[in-house]
Amino acid sequence: MRRKPKKIAAERRLFEAEARPHLDTLYSTALRLTRSPVDAEDLVQDTLVRAYRFYDRFEAGTNFKAWLLRIQMNAFVNRYRRSARERQVFDGAMAAPVGEGVMSRATMRGLTDPVGDAQRQIIAREINRAFDQLSEDARAMVLLADVEELSYKEIAEVMGCPIGTVMSRLHRARKQLQLSLHQHAVQLGIIDADDGDTEDPVSLEAFRSRKAVKS
Amino acid sequence: MSCKLVRRHLGAFVDGELDPASQIEFERHLEACSGCQEHLSFERSFRQQTRDSIGGTQAPEHLWGRALHRLDEIDETKTARSALIEIRPMRWKQTGLVAAAAAALLIIGGVMRLPDGRDYQGAGMLQDVIDLHTKALPSDVEAEAPQEVVRYFQGKTPFPVRPAQFEEPTMRFIGARYIKVGTRPAAALYYNHGGRRVTLLVFQSPELVQNAQRTHVGGRELYYHDVGGNVVTIRQHGGVNYAFFGDLDRPVLFQLAANARVAD
Repeated sequence: MRRKPKKIAAERRLFEAEARPHLDTLYSTALRLTRSPVDAEDLVQDTLVRAYRFYDRFEAGTNFKAWLLRIQMNAFVNRYRRSARERQVFDGAMAAPVGEGVMSRATMRGLTDPVGDAQRQIIAREINRAFDQLSEDARAMVLLADVEELSYKEIAEVMGCPIGTVMSRLHRARKQLQLSLHQHAVQLGIIDADDGDTEDPVSLEAFRSRKAVKS
Repeated sequence: MSCKLVRRHLGAFVDGELDPASQIEFERHLEACSGCQEHLSFERSFRQQTRDSIGGTQAPEHLWGRALHRLDEIDETKTARSALIEIRPMRWKQTGLVAAAAAALLIIGGVMRLPDGRDYQGAGMLQDVIDLHTKALPSDVEAEAPQEVVRYFQGKTPFPVRPAQFEEPTMRFIGARYIKVGTRPAAALYYNHGGRRVTLLVFQSPELVQNAQRTHVGGRELYYHDVGGNVVTIRQHGGVNYAFFGDLDRPVLFQLAANARVAD
């Protein structure tokens, strides 16, 4: 290979130093979006190639992680989602309105302070399951806000939408996650079903079967 | 403030995204309301559990290596491209003497007399141009629409000014201001090239290219002066001078000068 000019080599070193710490973030996010380790690896590689190509467009002083995630999100939408567009974005739970008081106090307490490691693990597993059932958009919102802890402004840039939209989409996504978790947790008997709550989404069957198991 | 309102926006509160006034109101409400406090602690702990449950997957060991391999490919094409620029039919006097990081001044479309010590006007003018860049005076008109820049300079300069356009996506227009080079009205246009400032001065000075060195880049005729460690590059267009000054390597500046679209 031809010897690289100094400038190219220097830029390369800089890019590597900046990008390497975010590799796990990129992979973790890619895996959650594509749900496939193979696709996730491809997506991360594409992301890094694009980022390197447009490295001089990155504005120093802004959040590099957010910038990478924005490139990754664009790459994901362009390449991986197109093939599976039919796979709902706005159908299912996404289209349904989400109520406010989804859970009772008792439920919240049950999920807030899981007793012991075993229960903690069950809840973690259940959150995973509930998360995977979310729409792509909702998954992206939860990932960016709750896992990567980006600001609304950064999320708006990553998703290419106004800040106000971030708030409502994020709110919706979190409620969906909680709702799904709650329903399943009740069915499994991890937490008590909410009684007397008019907005309680739990079915009577689930409530009864739980009682039956308990007694 | 109602509990309903607080609970509706509890997520934004925990995210720290409420405006300061609302933030304070929320805090006040939460101090007094045990019901909302429970919602708050749930919101916080649920956030934590979400993070613990779905975040933190580590990338496979080989992934970084594979990505680097693809970056190597990009570097190779970049290297090939930069080599292409160097084999263009240009005369590089003293190229070896110019440090890679040396600042370069590019004057496009002007006429300038050589700064040979006898010509104070030409030399002084060059120095003025360099000084104007170094001082980095603030813009009077910010980027956005080129039309606004055109309007801003109407009546200020005896020639129409519009920001030069560049093929290079790395060249971003930042803003512009009215300025004087000696006694001549000029437009200073500020650009950013991959994080480095580039100043383009537009003014009338037919003497600017007299005795300047001459070269051809990409089919364009360019003039340039070496001023200390800096290079001043000039391209003529329509009797108006467009002057660039930036902390860029000489080939990069020459390339920018040659490719700039300085008129409609």
